[in-house]
Amino acid sequence: MIAGIPTGTVAGGRTWPLTGRESWWPPRSRLSNGEAMPDLAALIEAQIPGLRRFACALLRGDREGADDLVQDALERALSHWNLRRNQGNLKGWLYTILYNRFLSNQHRVRRRGQHDALTEETELPGIDGGQHSVLEHRDLLRAFAALPEEQRAVLLLIGVEDLSYQDAARVLGVPIGTVMSRLSRGRERLRRAMHGELEENTSRHGAALRRVK
Amino acid sequence: MRAVSRSIEEDDLHAWVDSRLTPKDNEAVEAYFAAHPELRARWSQYAAQREELRAAFGGLTEKTIPARLRVARLLAEQRRRRRRRLGRVVAAVALLIAGGIGGWGAHDLLPVLTSSASAVLASAVFDDAIAAHRTFSVETRHPVEVGADEEAHLVQWLSKRLGHRLIVPDLNALGFRLMGGRLLPADSGPAALFMYEDGKGTRLSCYYLVVDVSGETEFQFRERNGISAFYWVDDGLAYAIAANVPRGLLLKIAEIVYQQNSPDGAKAKLPPASDKAS
Repeated sequence: MIAGIPTGTVAGGRTWPLTGRESWWPPRSRLSNGEAMPDLAALIEAQIPGLRRFACALLRGDREGADDLVQDALERALSHWNLRRNQGNLKGWLYTILYNRFLSNQHRVRRRGQHDALTEETELPGIDGGQHSVLEHRDLLRAFAALPEEQRAVLLLIGVEDLSYQDAARVLGVPIGTVMSRLSRGRERLRRAMHGELEENTSRHGAALRRVK
Repeated sequence: MRAVSRSIEEDDLHAWVDSRLTPKDNEAVEAYFAAHPELRARWSQYAAQREELRAAFGGLTEKTIPARLRVARLLAEQRRRRRRRLGRVVAAVALLIAGGIGGWGAHDLLPVLTSSASAVLASAVFDDAIAAHRTFSVETRHPVEVGADEEAHLVQWLSKRLGHRLIVPDLNALGFRLMGGRLLPADSGPAALFMYEDGKGTRLSCYYLVVDVSGETEFQFRERNGISAFYWVDDGLAYAIAANVPRGLLLKIAEIVYQQNSPDGAKAKLPPASDKAS
């Protein structure tokens, strides 16, 4: 028999015992009038353009799906706000949540057997930030969409979203050495897709340089 | 040409591509490239690709935030849901009281009123977790399949089987030491069990099951034949913490498990990556 719910304050949709050590952000008094938005809202919103870009690139151009993903991640971030450990790095934290949501959605999609629809779509239909940029970068985008998901994520976080190698490792939940090796493989694979297999010998030379961390 | 003062590694070259080198290191890399022009050609292509990717995806950057992603709106929505949930509980309690007075079977209505798909699911998880705890906590010789000495392997293995990044909660602060874990069958797929023991030999199970539900449920508490459990569903994973300990202590443990599984808390103890740098 359900013996009830532990006592506490309702926090982020969960009845959660706060043990008096912290109050739920933002305080209700500030929310009730709607106008005294905390600066934190502004801090979060400053990250939204990047989050949308990252989500859209992860989802190979599905803008609608990307905004669903961002919304989902923001809702989760807001409901877990008081559990945030690293107060300093809001950006990394938000990207981490978004990426975790992306992975668990993908897992769910696979479980429902819709995998094919997702992987076959490599045409980047929705990247229309001016049709111009699609046409201009068509080959690169197509080669990029064909990369394994983990390499795409690393190239995006580091090359486009400007996260540090360390932060990228945290977002992906892998050691930094793994980030570097994914970066390496992703960059080389993209290069080969764009420039063919002509430079086989130089890349072998490069491989000798590889350091195992 | 000046001799390179330190050895150049591939990571330095990536940092060069990403313009993240100090001027001094940048100089060292330039000197290295001067000595290896064939490498410069390839790494310059990487740098050019990086720029092109930025340009291509730059087209996706929109400064305007759609209404549904505004923080104020998300918070308002969250508040509304919270009120609605509270309303349901109040209605259920009222019915329960009315039932007590009027002799209706309102008691039976209560679960219907408060349950959602995930709450029902969580309740099934309770049954599984209690059964698992009952079976394995009394096992003296083989309580776990993989011992705590192979923790990294254990997490990686179970995460892989469940298809969900798992973390092993660190309960040392409350005197519970990890013994190890095992894989278990459940109706909906594989489940994971981590077993802990305190100094007095009291055992505690931490049970994970992947569920096809994205929402969250509240913490729920139930007791059966001396074994207590807190259980909940959060983000596609159902959790149950079961042990024969006082409710207050169990709640503290559940709280720790929940926190360590929160989005950034999880970072502290992730399974090692499946693809090692090679």
